[in-house]
Amino acid sequence: MNLRKLLLPAALIVLHGTVSASTAEAEKRLQSAVNDVLAIAGRATNNTALATSLRPVLQTNISFDAMTRRAVGPGWRQFTPDQKRKATELFTTLVIRNYSSKITPGEHPVVTFKAASAPAPGRVEVPTTLLYQGSRYGVTYRLEESENWRITDVVIEGVSLIANYRGQFDAEFKQGGADAVIGALSRSVANPK
Amino acid sequence: MKSHPSTLPLLLLLPVVALLCSCASPKKQAPSLTAAVGDKSSDGKSVKAGGDDLEEYDPTLIADPLEPLNRVTFTLNHGLYSIFFRPISKGYEFVIPKPVRTGIFNIFENVKFPVRLVNNTLQGNFKRVGQETGKFLVNTTVGVGGFGRPSDHIPALADVPDADTGQTFAKWGIGHGVYLVLPILGPSSVRDTVGLAGDYALNPVNWVSIVYGGYAWTIAIPSTNTVRALPSQLDIYDAATENALDRYLAARSAYVQFRAEAAKK
Repeated sequence: MNLRKLLLPAALIVLHGTVSASTAEAEKRLQSAVNDVLAIAGRATNNTALATSLRPVLQTNISFDAMTRRAVGPGWRQFTPDQKRKATELFTTLVIRNYSSKITPGEHPVVTFKAASAPAPGRVEVPTTLLYQGSRYGVTYRLEESENWRITDVVIEGVSLIANYRGQFDAEFKQGGADAVIGALSRSVANPK
Repeated sequence: MKSHPSTLPLLLLLPVVALLCSCASPKKQAPSLTAAVGDKSSDGKSVKAGGDDLEEYDPTLIADPLEPLNRVTFTLNHGLYSIFFRPISKGYEFVIPKPVRTGIFNIFENVKFPVRLVNNTLQGNFKRVGQETGKFLVNTTVGVGGFGRPSDHIPALADVPDADTGQTFAKWGIGHGVYLVLPILGPSSVRDTVGLAGDYALNPVNWVSIVYGGYAWTIAIPSTNTVRALPSQLDIYDAATENALDRYLAARSAYVQFRAEAAKK
């Protein structure tokens, strides 16, 4: 048996240890973010106020840059730096509003965290169960590590937030490029519906 | 007056469905979003702006050659939900106290047992056949005709995923065919519309007219079944389409993703 064969299991154990450690770190980060959100939601009186008070927590814990460019897709390469900034800013507001609208202020849902998985290095998926007004929902959080762990997608009952916007952005981009995407985002942000 | 709002459009659509099934070529399934996760830089960290992660999500999850017609139906449905079904739903929530509404909801879910039993059998999932049978027995007896859901407190019987005919087709490897927006019922596909016909036939709620033939019961029971589900159906519709750039596309994407998830369970 050569040295490589002897070292392989050891290397795998070390690698597994690293993955588990980072998974645990991501889970910890998510749990603290979710607890912050629940605490704020429990105190809020209406959805508009909730969106405003959630913004700092969400901006710390969500990677809106990654979300925006992935929702736009390959067309993102044709955005100027200014258009990228504008689109990210608008999409951030829309996602915060979208997320806040799914929470009833004053309610206290129970979140149960299930075993996380690491689909690739630097990426972790944490499935959770949300018990809310007698109904149970499956919510999976996708996190990625850049400077620290941040949420890059929220998947509710199999429906990914980013995948949902991807088709909409694509249609706008095909019609009129970056300007059409930004125009549609501006209209949506200006007219809540 | 029409009987059950969800039955008539289904019957009218069956010839159309048969036609579309025969000409629809197999279409791409909703992709596994984690499948594309391998697109990363060599250091394993997230790819930075402008990197390969731009193709992580597929914008076209289902073929929609009937989009112009679907959009018209979608707009009509949207109006109908606002002016007709939403007031009924609000009225129902106002008049009937929450615990009673939950009980009524549970009764109709419990009665739907044959839909889940037959489909779990067709899917070859005999563990779930057992779980569903246990759930039905416990909820029908201890839960007094399904009003309560004591099965939720039995770990082996809590959280058993739902089963329907469209899901069975999906598990058999049958694709969606094309996307369809059904009048009143909303987002569907050729496959799932045929599935709905199966669910309809398997749901005892719809057997009442055959067994009793009485006009009043034929209207009352399926109508109650529709109304009891309205608040949650409208909530799902709102959750999927609020804050969208284009409600139609948002609903289409949510539907396809939701059904892909159901097929995985």
